Amino acid sequence: MRSIAVENEERLYLRYAYNDLVKNKGINAALVVTLVLSAFLMATGSMVLERLAGSISRLSEQGKPPDFLQMHKGEYDPAALTRFAADHESEIDAWLVEEMLGYDSASLSWSRPDTGENGDLAASRIDNLFVTQNTEFDFLVDRTGTVVEPAAGEVYVPVLYQQRYGLTPGDVLTIRTGSGPYELEVRGEVKDAQMAASLSPSSRFLIHPEDFEALGRAGGATPEIIVEYRLAADGDANALQTAYEGAGGLPTNGQPVTGPQLRIISMISDGLVAFALVFVSLVLIVIALLNLRFVIRGTLEDEVHEIGAMKAIGIPDREISRLYLTKYSILALVGCVVGGLLAIVAANVLTHGIQTSYAPAPVDVWTFLVPLIALAAVYVIVVGICRGVLRGVRRIEVVNALVHGSTLDEKQAARRTRRQARWVRRTGLVSSSGAGINRRLAVLDLRAEGRAWVLLPVVFGLTAVLITLPANMVSTFESPRFVTYMGVPERDLRADVQFQEDVDGVKDRLVTAMEDDDRLTDVRSYASVDYTADSEDGPARLRVEVGNRPDDGGIRFSQGGLPRDGQIALSVLNADRFRVGVGDDLTIHDGDQSITVQVSGIYQDITSGGQTAKMSGDVTEGAAAYTVFADLAGDGADPGGIADEYDEQFPTGGVKPTQEYVRETLGVLIDSMRAAAWVALVFGLGVVVLITSLFLKLRLARDRSNMGVLSAIGFSAKELVGQVRTKTLLVVAAGTAAGLVLAATAGQSLASAALTAVQLGITDLTFIPNPWLVYVLYPLLLLGAGYFGVAVLTAGVRRADKSEWIRR
Amino acid sequence: MDQAAVTLESHELSKTYFSTEPPTEVLRGIDLSVRAGEFLVVMGTSGSGKSTLLYSISGMDRPTSGNVTLEGRELTSLGDTEMSKVRLTRMGFVFQQPHFLGNLEVRDNILLPALRAAPKQGREAAISRVDALMERFGITHIRSHGITQVSGGQLQRASICRALAGEPSVLFADEPTGALNSSMTAEVMDAFTDVHRDGTTIVMVTHDPGVAARGERVIYLRDGTVEAAREIGRWEPDTARRREDDLLAWLRDLGF
Ligand SMILES: Nc1ncnc2c1ncn2[C@@H]1O[C@H](COP(=O)(O)OP(=O)(O)OP(=O)(O)O)[C@@H](O)[C@H]1O
Ligand SMILES: [Mg+2]
Repeated sequence: MRSIAVENEERLYLRYAYNDLVKNKGINAALVVTLVLSAFLMATGSMVLERLAGSISRLSEQGKPPDFLQMHKGEYDPAALTRFAADHESEIDAWLVEEMLGYDSASLSWSRPDTGENGDLAASRIDNLFVTQNTEFDFLVDRTGTVVEPAAGEVYVPVLYQQRYGLTPGDVLTIRTGSGPYELEVRGEVKDAQMAASLSPSSRFLIHPEDFEALGRAGGATPEIIVEYRLAADGDANALQTAYEGAGGLPTNGQPVTGPQLRIISMISDGLVAFALVFVSLVLIVIALLNLRFVIRGTLEDEVHEIGAMKAIGIPDREISRLYLTKYSILALVGCVVGGLLAIVAANVLTHGIQTSYAPAPVDVWTFLVPLIALAAVYVIVVGICRGVLRGVRRIEVVNALVHGSTLDEKQAARRTRRQARWVRRTGLVSSSGAGINRRLAVLDLRAEGRAWVLLPVVFGLTAVLITLPANMVSTFESPRFVTYMGVPERDLRADVQFQEDVDGVKDRLVTAMEDDDRLTDVRSYASVDYTADSEDGPARLRVEVGNRPDDGGIRFSQGGLPRDGQIALSVLNADRFRVGVGDDLTIHDGDQSITVQVSGIYQDITSGGQTAKMSGDVTEGAAAYTVFADLAGDGADPGGIADEYDEQFPTGGVKPTQEYVRETLGVLIDSMRAAAWVALVFGLGVVVLITSLFLKLRLARDRSNMGVLSAIGFSAKELVGQVRTKTLLVVAAGTAAGLVLAATAGQSLASAALTAVQLGITDLTFIPNPWLVYVLYPLLLLGAGYFGVAVLTAGVRRADKSEWIRR
Repeated sequence: MDQAAVTLESHELSKTYFSTEPPTEVLRGIDLSVRAGEFLVVMGTSGSGKSTLLYSISGMDRPTSGNVTLEGRELTSLGDTEMSKVRLTRMGFVFQQPHFLGNLEVRDNILLPALRAAPKQGREAAISRVDALMERFGITHIRSHGITQVSGGQLQRASICRALAGEPSVLFADEPTGALNSSMTAEVMDAFTDVHRDGTTIVMVTHDPGVAARGERVIYLRDGTVEAAREIGRWEPDTARRREDDLLAWLRDLGF
């Protein structure tokens, strides 16, 4: 008996929902589309992140990358490494020293004997490292995850190169060595668990030991090593790093990296777009919720008589709510299902690149659970909010609903009448006349019914944040001034003299040549000197850039300033590592000598893993490396040309325009941020048009009778549309302006917080916006979207029979 | 009929709604002449097309065919903007439900069309005209009230003020007393009579024979055509009873 009643009830709810869906097609369609978009982006983002994490793990299983590694160029003491390994036997599962031959991109070219096609690899990364296969861990693997062993005369190229240049087996890779070209046949491509991240500055090529020998003898390569460790089961990579750096006598001339850092870099560089998708979807969900609230409230007002009648015949509030809730549950369900299905397609496209750089991720239960959980969360939140808004049903009083057609109770209604009366007395038309009265009416309307309009400015504000935030990130990272976040002054040229026999000599000759060159001014050199200092986990290496620094063109100090004598400035991450703040003392050791210096400032730096330091002083010889900066004398000069000249003359001087240095380091990151910015822009504008249309559709329905009155007393359709346009553009402009302010303030803090969280070395980002884009083009696009919405929605007004607006 | 005195004329005026299946032919070729200063009453069964006739004549709705002339000017060929201007300057409307903008006080609502029509210099003149009208119809004391704070009769008188503020040549009214009780009805009809006496042309739709008796000529619509017409002469308070009985008899013959 009871079950039949319940079943009937269900059917009643569904029928009601169905009728409503059919009756208000446009509005329901717009609601569904916003929900679909939200769900789609959420599901896509979460799927891509899950796939990426899976791909990274899978490649890690196949390639077994080290848990801690230290890059090094130059001489080293193998016995010291053996001693260190013996001392830490319990923590270390395995270790190795990989020898590598580094070439710059200009030394490499490829050709296809069959067709005569050829090209160089100039657009590739800074470091091209030729290696032989390891025996214990850190393998280079092929597509199937097999550890490959090239035969003599063969080379396996990094998968990224294979993709970019379309290399196929049989192509010839030519290396320009010190004693002529050396040819290798491309056998295939390899995936590299250690250097797979698109942000990784180097790539490894796999060759046979015989070729390795031959290349080494031929000269023209920079020999490098990576000291690599696999940890025992419960080992701690950071502790090992600290121990390594504190041990002394070990090779440290290069970047140290831990396994977790490798993963983070991979997630950041290849997951950024996915993170952006999740961010966009969060904003969209907020928009969808506001939208739902708006629609539900409108529905309750429209159907207050019916609700009153239902209440009058004793149907409980809960069931009346359910009547409406059924529809929104259906919409949310449709949104999640359709969004989820679309996401499968999109995620496949987006993960294609990931699957090639990393490994095809194994499909497991999480592959389905992660997007499902994300979608379920969207559904639950949407339905939950709808339920909350529908509580309004409880507050509707039968008498007021039936007699006055009002959702308000006695007290609220009285308050509203009083407010209206007060308002009406305060405002007047009298000051305007002629066509100007249209503007006056629009403004009065907005002021009186601001609350009804609030959806639009909020949505436009959020969207403005959504689209300007990534754009600001891109322009900031792309800006010439961004070098100052890399611990580098804003100078035109930069030279890195390092990792060679005669570092001092090359540096001296380079500096002399530059100083004699009238095209260059203000040549200044800094020496990199290695110290150790006490960190929380014991002594750790601290590489300090020592030089004369009257000023350092705009390095981003987040606290304090440049070091004077007896002072040191630390990068944010180093200040953290050594637990010091501005004004604190830090004792640094050089062999047996110790000096205590005071921290003068903390600056942001993302180079060298964010771990750098600066001291004032004069070191002219014996340093591990030197950095030389110079400015161009004339304004119009081309830093690229001059850098090339010096590069010819000092092939080991590493002379580059500073901007190129930035591009090489961050190019890939900027590319993915740009992709994210596009996604945000396209979806943002789409949603804004959609919501404007939906809002106006509902608003115009409510304004019909007012429009009918105005039409009857002689206002033309053009004027009526004009009033709607004025109102819309006013709120859109207000919302957009607020959004821009928010993006510039809170958005900047948000970006800084995100960057702080990923430990890149930036904690306090100041946007360097592209004003034309962010403050001119984007606002115009948003206004245009509002304008477009008005145009579409009012298209019928001119043709309509206006009497319909005042007939009941 | 004296041609020179005709102010409003329709010829073969038709309106068909194509939104329904089959299309609804609401007006089927209506020929109508309204003399300057005449008080024409339109009666007819519910759904016979009375309101549609008013909206089609005034250009709020587009007639399907036929044409309308006002003071010798062809209206049906005008664009929306020009037609609106005609409504603004030459026509006034009073509806059954008082349609006002809730965000404006009573006086501003009345002023709205007058201010819209007035050039900047004409503003003061429009304002004093409206104040005079409000004085005349006894609603000066509610000038600063909100729309929800006044009675139906007062609102309907405000509607008349609004309709007259632009000094129209024709005043249209669609069941102006339909929502009022009898004392308010008398109050409003006195206002109409007053306006008529000033020489304003009036076209009024009503169901109420007592109200219809205020007119000079009554036409009867059925199914979108004018079925009958009757001249009843000018209304005077002392002949009111007789006119009403006479009209009722006529209407009863028509099956009202
Ligand atoms: N937009 C429309 N679409 C279709 N039919 C319509 C439309 N507007 C009105 N009608 C129909 O036209 C007919 C005439 O309507 P109208 O309002 O002119 O009648 P009326 O004589 O004023 O009636 P009442 O005395 O009830 O006010 C009616 O049958 C109505 O249903
Ligand atoms: Mg009618």
